[in-house]
Amino acid sequence: MNATRARRLAPLLASLAALAVAVSCAAAPAVGDAGRLLDFSDAERQAILAHGPWPPPLVPDPSNRVSGNPEAAALGQRLFFDGRLSANGRVACVSCHAPPALFADRRKVSIGLSAVDRNAPSLVNVRFARWFGWDGGSDSLWAHSIRPLTDPREHGIALEQVATLLATDPDLSCRYQKVFGRDAAGVSTETASADAGKALAAFQETLVSIPTRFDAFRAALERGDGAAAARYPENAQRGLRMFVGKGNCSTCHVGPLFSNREFADTGIPFFLAPGIVDPGRYGGIVRVRQDAFNQLGRHNDDPVRAPGTATRHVDLQQKNFGEWKVPGLRNVALTAPYMHNGSLATLREVLGHYSELDEDRLHADGEKILRPLRLGEAEIGDLLAFLDTLTSPPPGLMMDLLPTARAREPCR
Amino acid sequence: MKRTALLLAAMAAAAGAPACELPPGGQQIANRDGTLALSYRPDPAPLAIDRPFSLLVHVCSRAPVESLTVDAHMPEHRHGMNYKPGIAPVGVGAWRASGLLLHMPGKWEFLFGVRVNGKTERLAHAVLVR
Ligand code: HEC
Ligand code: HEC
Ligand SMILES: [Cu+2]
Repeated sequence: MNATRARRLAPLLASLAALAVAVSCAAAPAVGDAGRLLDFSDAERQAILAHGPWPPPLVPDPSNRVSGNPEAAALGQRLFFDGRLSANGRVACVSCHAPPALFADRRKVSIGLSAVDRNAPSLVNVRFARWFGWDGGSDSLWAHSIRPLTDPREHGIALEQVATLLATDPDLSCRYQKVFGRDAAGVSTETASADAGKALAAFQETLVSIPTRFDAFRAALERGDGAAAARYPENAQRGLRMFVGKGNCSTCHVGPLFSNREFADTGIPFFLAPGIVDPGRYGGIVRVRQDAFNQLGRHNDDPVRAPGTATRHVDLQQKNFGEWKVPGLRNVALTAPYMHNGSLATLREVLGHYSELDEDRLHADGEKILRPLRLGEAEIGDLLAFLDTLTSPPPGLMMDLLPTARAREPCR
Repeated sequence: MKRTALLLAAMAAAAGAPACELPPGGQQIANRDGTLALSYRPDPAPLAIDRPFSLLVHVCSRAPVESLTVDAHMPEHRHGMNYKPGIAPVGVGAWRASGLLLHMPGKWEFLFGVRVNGKTERLAHAVLVR
């Protein structure tokens, strides 16, 4: 294949191009032949371009005054890996958000002190979300970072323990002083907890994935470079066409993240046990309104509480039962199992779900978007090939954002 | 600007329309008998999905406007927004509806309810958002 391609290219470029093709073939699993660019319509091109560019601007979170502060990210990294923030001394954030699993845990549902009832999402690119948790029960990354600490199934501690650790551990209290400019022993438990959440958020903000083969294709389309675009495998192009077209996937999985950052009902059953349901987004809205750390409360660092707009206006509706956050699809091939309850083991099963959708499971007055797609084997293969091109090549993350070196240095 | 004036002049001739002028630059809609005209403008502009925005709404009406409601829905998908806009007056015949968010690409419709003389006039305007 490389030889035929090379012969078609101008002699000067031939060796370089052959090398590039060889490298990209070696780095990625075989997903099919490269070489032809499908005749995408203007509407299709527009829909494809809307999935980028990547990454979006890395804007600091105005509700977190240490967002983007590397010292805060280093403190957050220390806390993220610290088992002392748990009732048995052994559960840390990293227990369920492990780096080799793209900061998820590969389990159906997570296990801390005991089992929870939801699947752990990958934390890569979490900074770009509007709502956090499958139910959107938190309205900022820092507020969500406090939540697992007190959940009896996760870390299972009282927030006093967070405040005490920050005040008494020499390294942590030194870092706290550096980041927040005050003594951790002198602040209230609630403030210390909010600050811990903000440092944890500063760390998680550094988890940003690097551009993918899809992004290279999109960029080539944007600059009108047909030759470069044609290097994107043809089956992935067909899958992409299905994704933005007949499949209707990009109605919800839209934008650079492949998520509209809102909630939808896709007919995944949400019974936890006979007669007991997980209320999904409905419960999330109730929860976020009650949260002492929400964007409308005093721990929001933005003087005009601008990031509180969504929380102020979010509308509790009956349709929110059975709705879940639309997950982003970057690196989705690496983050099985899928859905809020981890009930689908593979991407093929997810596509099977959309293909054979049971419309009775959608709410009667639900959104008229999803229809059983009745996909054929070839179409499923194309969609899988496309989803596979959303995988970041090694090392996966933008390494220069990570605070690891700083977190390793002792604080003085 | 000119077009607005012309439009209003035509309506005034037809049905004794509102004696005020809508600001230029917004989307304009009117009710059937021409007794009511309205303009709206998004802030920030242009409209985009997945981004909170406000609508600045101006209403020209013969009788005083008692209240205004603003909403949006996707008629084909049969759903509204996930957010409830807040409405505040910002001058004579002007309101700001804040906290709107269009969460999907496709055909949306803005819905305005203008209460005049104890009756609500409903005006709708369709937009395609990509
Ligand atoms: C017991 C396993 C477990 C532990 C420990 C844990 N998490 Fe999670 N995490 C989860 C699960 C499960 C979810 C989904 C929760 C939901 O939907 O409510 C989640 C969700 C999140 C989210 C939201 C992601 C998104 O895309 O919406 C963030 C952020 C997060 N966790 C950060 C943390 C931090 C920071 C810690 C440590 C303080 C932590 N987690 C500890 C299992 C865990
Ligand atoms: C109506 C909005 C909507 C549409 C349309 C839609 N999805 Fe989804 N998708 C969701 C939601 C919501 C979830 C999570 C459901 C849950 O957790 O129960 C999801 C989950 C997924 C997941 C699992 C991701 C993960 O990390 O667990 C994949 C993969 C996926 N969708 C792909 C697709 C494809 C491919 C299409 C088109 C055939 C599509 N989706 C159409 C809303 C939608
Ligand atoms: Cu819709």
